[in-house]
Amino acid sequence: MTILRYLREFSQSILTSFRKRNQRALRKINDDVLSAAATELDKNLFDLAVLSYALSKIVSKPRFLDREYDSRLRAIERALSDLLDMSNAPDEQVSRFVHAVEKSIGSLEKDDPRFITTIINKGKLKMAATLYAQGMSLGVASEMSNLEQQEVLDYAGETMMFDRIKDEKGIRERMKLARKFIEE
Amino acid sequence: MKTRDIVCDSGSLITLTSSCLDRLLYFFAEKHNVRFMIPKAVEHETVGRVIDENIRKHIYSALRIRQAIDDGIIARVDADVSLQGSRLMNAANNLFYVKGKPLRLIQEGEAQMLALSRSVGVDYLLMDERTTRMLIEAPIRLKTHLEQEFGVNAMVNKENLRRLSSELSGLRTLRSSELAMLAFEKGYFDDMESRKVDMLEAALYKMKYSGCSISFDEIKSYMESVSRTVA
Repeated sequence: MTILRYLREFSQSILTSFRKRNQRALRKINDDVLSAAATELDKNLFDLAVLSYALSKIVSKPRFLDREYDSRLRAIERALSDLLDMSNAPDEQVSRFVHAVEKSIGSLEKDDPRFITTIINKGKLKMAATLYAQGMSLGVASEMSNLEQQEVLDYAGETMMFDRIKDEKGIRERMKLARKFIEE
Repeated sequence: MKTRDIVCDSGSLITLTSSCLDRLLYFFAEKHNVRFMIPKAVEHETVGRVIDENIRKHIYSALRIRQAIDDGIIARVDADVSLQGSRLMNAANNLFYVKGKPLRLIQEGEAQMLALSRSVGVDYLLMDERTTRMLIEAPIRLKTHLEQEFGVNAMVNKENLRRLSSELSGLRTLRSSELAMLAFEKGYFDDMESRKVDMLEAALYKMKYSGCSISFDEIKSYMESVSRTVA
């Protein structure tokens, strides 16, 4: 599948689930988008994964379902529709559409954007750490997310990712090697 | 005393500085004649880029690493390993195929670190980064992990597997956690006296939470062996 086709299909799914305010569906889509981002190594797909994460968090907050947010939520839906409608756009234009979605999310809380800013930043970190946990290197995860390696490491260290895979060598064997290094 | 060379990745230096354990580097350099080496890409990632872009959150770590370089504890090696690095990167990034596409596993910095070690004939790597470490130690286990994560079979390019195995044969990896454990055994924490075992345990957990790829079970297992020795 081409990147453009992935983007259209995921945008459609995200738009449909966002309209229904379906958090669970958005989280599932998030997993799928990130998986595609990893195999295609596409920055736009990665950014879309971050946005789908942010949208899943937004719909989980009852206050955003108040009437006062209606017009702003519709602006997000329009931005997603525009992303869906782009046809054979070159890469740099696709990025613009993706960033337009991010901007519309950012406008959700103009008076106090801290929650939204935090959600998007956390989304980037979480997606980067997930790529690292899945098996991409720290450098690849950092490059894809445009985050510092240290940032990704700090987050990864707080997860259980290093406990989920049994290591090839036990700690005894590793320490034998370490002693050999010093004593050789 | 014989010089003991070890090539470091960005992750290990970051873990050590984040955990305020970069003095371990000095300890081993001064007492055991260890030479910590890094390629240009690792210096750029851990120091240059952070300072140039004024990433305030990480500048303290970057300056600690720069100080260690200035003090001669970490040696930046200027060898041009770009060609060798590209070859290794190409082999690694075309090793496993998922849904018909090659998975990009490592990037330039990681490849250059491996290339440097081969270029200067150093077999030991100080590496906290898990993927590159698994590529060296257990590429097929990495394949299995990728399959579990993506829920599909991963195909292996046998030629690239053979090439990588040949290029990376003989490389031995240590994590920053092993450095801390070794430092304990060599007396680094002795001035803490009755608290030295607690300090070691605290240091290992701090390193884990800073991103060193060590598990809770491994820390527990090592601490149990320390308790038996000290008792």
